[in-house]
Amino acid sequence: MEQKREHSFWKILGKNLFPASLQSYLIALGAIFSLNFILPRLMPGDPLHAIYGDEALVAMTDEMEAQLIRQFSLDKSWWDQMLAYIMGLLQGDLGFSYYYREQVSQVILGALPWTLLLAGLALVIATAIGIILGIESGFCRGSSLDRGLVASLMFLGGFPDFFIGILLLLIFAVSLDIMPLSGATSPYAGYEGLAYMLDVLKHLALPLASMVLVQLGGIFLLTRNTMVTLLGESFILTARAKGCPESYIKYSHAGRNSLLPVTTATGMHIPHLITGALFIEIVFSYPGIGSLLNTAIAARDYPLIQGILLIVTVTVLSANYLVDLLYMRLDPRVRYAH
Amino acid sequence: MLSIRDLKISFGKTQILSGIDLDLEKGECLALVGESGAGKTTLGLSIMGLARGSATGEISFQKKNLLALPEDELRQLRGREMAMVFQNVEDALDPVQRIADQIAEAITVHRCISAKNAGDMALRHLLSVGLNGEKARLYPHQLSGGEKQRVLIAMALVNDPDLLILDEPTASLDALTKADIIRLFRSAILGRICIVITHDISLAAALADKMAVLYAGRIVEMGRAESLIRDPHHPYTRGLIRSYPDMTTTKDLQGIPGRLVHGLSGCPFHGRCTQRIDICSRQIPKQRELDGRIIACHRGGIVPLLEISGLSHTFQANYVLRDVFLTLYEGETLALVGESGSGKSTLSKTIMGLHEPDRGQFILEGCSVIKRDAAFYSRVQMIFQNPKESVSHRMNVLDAVQEPLLVQRESSYEARLGRAKEVLDLVELPVDDDFLKRYPHQLSGGEVQRVAIARALALGPKLLIADEPTSALDPSVQAKILKLLMNLQEKMGLAMLFVTHDIALARKVSDRMAVMHKGRIVEEGATNEVLIHPRHPYTRRLVDCALGRYGMENAEIEMMVEPEPVVLEKYC
Amino acid sequence: MHIDPLGEISHDPLAKIGMLMLATVTLMAIFAPLLSSYSPHDYTGEIFSPPSMDHLLGTDSMGQDIWVRLLYGARTSLLVAGAVALLSTLLSVLVGATAALAGGLYERFCMRIVDAMISLPTIIVMILVAAYLRPSLPLLILLISAFSWPGGARIVRSQVLSLKERMHINAARTFGAGWRHIVSTHIIPDLSPIISALMMQDARRAVFMEAGLAFLGVSDPMVISWGKMMHQALAFTYLDVWQWWLVPTGLALSATLIGISFLSCSLETAMNPRLKKDHARDNARYG
Repeated sequence: MEQKREHSFWKILGKNLFPASLQSYLIALGAIFSLNFILPRLMPGDPLHAIYGDEALVAMTDEMEAQLIRQFSLDKSWWDQMLAYIMGLLQGDLGFSYYYREQVSQVILGALPWTLLLAGLALVIATAIGIILGIESGFCRGSSLDRGLVASLMFLGGFPDFFIGILLLLIFAVSLDIMPLSGATSPYAGYEGLAYMLDVLKHLALPLASMVLVQLGGIFLLTRNTMVTLLGESFILTARAKGCPESYIKYSHAGRNSLLPVTTATGMHIPHLITGALFIEIVFSYPGIGSLLNTAIAARDYPLIQGILLIVTVTVLSANYLVDLLYMRLDPRVRYAH
Repeated sequence: MLSIRDLKISFGKTQILSGIDLDLEKGECLALVGESGAGKTTLGLSIMGLARGSATGEISFQKKNLLALPEDELRQLRGREMAMVFQNVEDALDPVQRIADQIAEAITVHRCISAKNAGDMALRHLLSVGLNGEKARLYPHQLSGGEKQRVLIAMALVNDPDLLILDEPTASLDALTKADIIRLFRSAILGRICIVITHDISLAAALADKMAVLYAGRIVEMGRAESLIRDPHHPYTRGLIRSYPDMTTTKDLQGIPGRLVHGLSGCPFHGRCTQRIDICSRQIPKQRELDGRIIACHRGGIVPLLEISGLSHTFQANYVLRDVFLTLYEGETLALVGESGSGKSTLSKTIMGLHEPDRGQFILEGCSVIKRDAAFYSRVQMIFQNPKESVSHRMNVLDAVQEPLLVQRESSYEARLGRAKEVLDLVELPVDDDFLKRYPHQLSGGEVQRVAIARALALGPKLLIADEPTSALDPSVQAKILKLLMNLQEKMGLAMLFVTHDIALARKVSDRMAVMHKGRIVEEGATNEVLIHPRHPYTRRLVDCALGRYGMENAEIEMMVEPEPVVLEKYC
Repeated sequence: MHIDPLGEISHDPLAKIGMLMLATVTLMAIFAPLLSSYSPHDYTGEIFSPPSMDHLLGTDSMGQDIWVRLLYGARTSLLVAGAVALLSTLLSVLVGATAALAGGLYERFCMRIVDAMISLPTIIVMILVAAYLRPSLPLLILLISAFSWPGGARIVRSQVLSLKERMHINAARTFGAGWRHIVSTHIIPDLSPIISALMMQDARRAVFMEAGLAFLGVSDPMVISWGKMMHQALAFTYLDVWQWWLVPTGLALSATLIGISFLSCSLETAMNPRLKKDHARDNARYG
């Protein structure tokens, strides 16, 4: 009996930490690894050439070439190359960026925090506003508030994210000139402490606003439609019969239940969120992964593109994993499934 | 305590409730029954202030008119003074909250109470409906249907409401769970006003002392539950009960023809009613009270079709009929059983005027029958034992069927042909020219009997006297003919006097049974009760024989002191 | 009850607006040569000339007429949208339906692949592949389709799974119908609203992806693309030229995307009876 209980405890713990979706995340990660490894090697010509591209090799000395060939066993069989590749990855070696003349991992780590800040804040703010508006709008469906919100947010959500960014940039930074044009901080200002924070926020405001505006529509519409569906459920009638005030019904019952599909959708939306952030960064020259990618594409810095792909994939998959864990907290039917 | 006056609810142009009047005292439990769409649930929801659509009239509860109350005051009454348990057990609880929390919420929204105390109260209430503390921490999906229903009951009772509304409370439960839950309800409804909304008549009987039958937004009949079920007065109530099986039902189930339509002028049921008269489609019947029964019907409920009183007949100085009293109601089948020579056939022939009685009176649809004229025969018709004899071998199908029309001087050939085809269609026979020209010897026994039935129907009778109508037929054909007769009864509201010596057969087709012995009716009552508890020794013997128990000798009955006939009240 | 979502959306004002926007863009694309007197590759000589009768939207940094390039950009967008919608939806239906019908290991395999692909940052994968293989329009169409189908496959699979359990299909099986009959007379017709919704989603994503990739600098150098135009224009925000270069191009792209969104949203509402049901009635009491 005791043993059985212990067993089920581990089982529940295991289920809580390793949702079924973990498997597909590992497959996704594996696919990116193989893509990064195989794609350059499928190209005609010698592997070094293919991996680094024409432009990079022009800038490279013979010693560097020799060192890279040795490091990735490029003169040996594919099998050895793969081992070398994996060993390199395990040591955090993503290759060398010829454009920045630095390790790819170093370059990316410098840019990643800005992207995470932008995308993370956008996700939190857009989700919070979207859910609240969705609940209110769904609750009084058919009212002028509801119709107005649906029409305007759907209209906004239709715009491509980089164009919203461009419009905001043109209006607030170019025409009105009340916001900084580009960057994440004012260069050479030497702000510290609170002043630095304010400076960061000021630079963040426009990119963040454009991301929130674009993300909002989807979350809002989903919450609203879920709300409308849920309000027809029997348990809402039970809550009304209990004498619950409207606010309880809105938030504690219908609202809480509508979080479930919203959470699932948010998880599936994270790749779009990150790529959206990349576009916005390019528009505002925000020094995150997006700008890095832009530079890498223009300079044909292949190892950097590969590194970005890998890091973004890992970020997206981890975020997905966290959302899965959150979902299990929210839905007891998954947590305590028989 | 709860009184509803002229409550009307409409969604857009459709009126769902049209003028409900209802009074309920504390401690009373009312069952609301009726088909889907009759407005039962809407009535419950409108009392709770949860019905959609616009309402007029008055719902007075605790001296307040609920319809005039602002939403917030109404909300404070909900869950505290009045509670409702909904039908959809599977979805009625919030899937993401622990059940104890959901019950505690019902307490905290109405009282200033700490979360901990509310939680303790919730646990106590769960315990009182038979769920222990361990279950309290579970989520709805971890409970069985019966347990969820218990949670819902606990939630409804937690604030000790005065009014409890149960909407199909056992619809999704299996029989054993249902029994448990009904026990729980019995204690829950004590001392409260309770309304049980259901289409399950056995549940209504188990819980309620009063019962109201709702049809298209109106109460058509209301009274004590027990007597309403045993003795429905309104044709709709009878239809409902006939279509609901219970363990003592012996007659085959019958439905109600047509379907529920809202917004008819006049009596809402008149489109499906088989005893409607002109006024039914013009005027809405008023509710009238009669012996503690409220009924809304222009005809005062199911009408007696034929009343026979004090009928006696002698033949060669022997009584063949002795002082026979018998009443036949619209749309019912009365089986007349007894051995050969008991007087059954004489009685049916006397009704038809084939014998002249010595004494006695017939009243047909309220008028005394003095002579058997055309009007009489167009209301009362007979079918005979042997179809091959009762249909002349010289007549083809068409001639046979139109014979009564000719006799009644229907001169136009087209009209006769049309009517003949109509009735042949009713008895499920072909109406092509080839078939119309066939003669009885070209037809099977079952077909000839159908022709005989069609002939009897040609004049549009209300009462059909069937004298052993199937005894000359094969069992398989007999079953079909009986089904046909029952369907005709369902469709046209035919009353039938079914004369037979076969008790097993009578059991399957009749609502009531009269047992004849030596020219007397020795016992009369609802078929199932007569058969389960036969009171007269002769009936007992008949039943025993039918069951294959051949204990008593004939002589034993003869030697017994002849007891008084047991004539019970209708259905008692 | 018979529901015909496709017939129903023709009465929805939202769908009408969407249709109108799409029709405008389509007409622009079809009649591009008639609506302008220049060829998109002509160099007029003047750069950054403001709008005039000669050049409706002025000229860009290379001296090319912006209005003409806008018209021809619509062709690219719609071509990509149409091709991807067909290809990707075909893949979705193929994988989703076969997975649902075949079941077993094959289904699990397909669905794992689908889940994995859904959680990838597809744009970056496309960038990498396109960068290695040198971007061209057919390659872009193939790439976008290859990464668009998994979401649709998931939807088609769940729809087919629920269809499979419906009574009328079980009934057909009791008549001895084979799977070929069931698929062609029951499943495909019932799937048609879903398929049209998927095609719209795929078309929208394709327009967005093509513009986005071009905006990032990944595009067929021989093809005129709105995204590429915006990419070029973004470098000159310090001049007034953005007013007739950047903004009209962005608006044209947005109009296409919003048009498709409106149509697909209206279709979604028509397919979900709960969202559709009479609004006024429910709010009579609750306000």
